[in-house]
Amino acid sequence: MSNAKFFESHQLHFIRERLVEIDDSHWPMLSTLQLKDPTTSLIVSILAGNLGIDRFIIGDTGLGIGKLLTCGGLGIWAIVDWFMIQKATREKNLQKIQHLLY
Amino acid sequence: MVNNRNRLYSLLLIACIAGYIWTFLNMHETHNAHLPMQVCMFKYVTDIPCPSCGATRSIIAALTGHYLTALTINPIGFIIALIMLCAPLWVIVDLLRGSSSLFNFYRKMELRLQKPQYSIPMVALVLINWVWNINKGL
Repeated sequence: MSNAKFFESHQLHFIRERLVEIDDSHWPMLSTLQLKDPTTSLIVSILAGNLGIDRFIIGDTGLGIGKLLTCGGLGIWAIVDWFMIQKATREKNLQKIQHLLY
Repeated sequence: MVNNRNRLYSLLLIACIAGYIWTFLNMHETHNAHLPMQVCMFKYVTDIPCPSCGATRSIIAALTGHYLTALTINPIGFIIALIMLCAPLWVIVDLLRGSSSLFNFYRKMELRLQKPQYSIPMVALVLINWVWNINKGL
C-alpha cells in the first residue's frame, strides 16, 4: 500500500479488500484519482489556519467560511484544527475513493 | 467533517451560543469603557488585522442602532449577525419537523461554492475587505 499515508490505518484493510474484489473496469478512474496529502494540509493549517484556508483546501467549504468569519473560531478552533486536520483530510480521501469502490 | 445532519446542527448551535455569549460579554465591556479583548491570533502575531477583525465591534454598533458605523467597521459583521439570527431558528424548526432542509441547503451551497465562477468572486470580495481592513487599521 504505497498510498497508505492518505488514509486512516483502520480503513486500509477495508480499502484493500474492496480493491481486490472490484473488477478491472475501475482501474483507470482509480489510478488517476487525486488525493489530498495530510501533511500539506497540516502545513497550511499551521500557517493559514486562522483564515480557514486548510478547510477550503480539503473541500470543507462551509467550515472554511465559518473559520474565516470568526477569526479561526477566536483562535481556539484554529489550534484544535492543527490536530484534527490530518484526520479530516484522510476521511475526505476515503469519501473520494468510496465513490469509485462501488 | 460535516457528513451528517446532527453533527452540523450541534456545531451550528454551539457556534451561535458562543457567538451570543461573546457579543454579550463585549457589549458589557464596551459599556464599561474598556476595549474589547484582543483574541485574534493573526493580529496578535503579525499586527495586521485579519479579514474578519472588527466583526464584534460591527455587530455591537449595529445592535446599538449605528448601522452605517457597523458597515464601515466591517461589513462581515452583518453576515455573521444574519447567520447568528437565522441558523438557530432554522435548526430548531428542522429538529421539530424532523426534516433536514438546512443540511441539504448547506451541502448544496458547499458544492456550488467550490465552482470557480462562485469561489473566485468570493475570494476577491474577502481580499478587498481585507485590504480595506488593513487601510482602516482596525
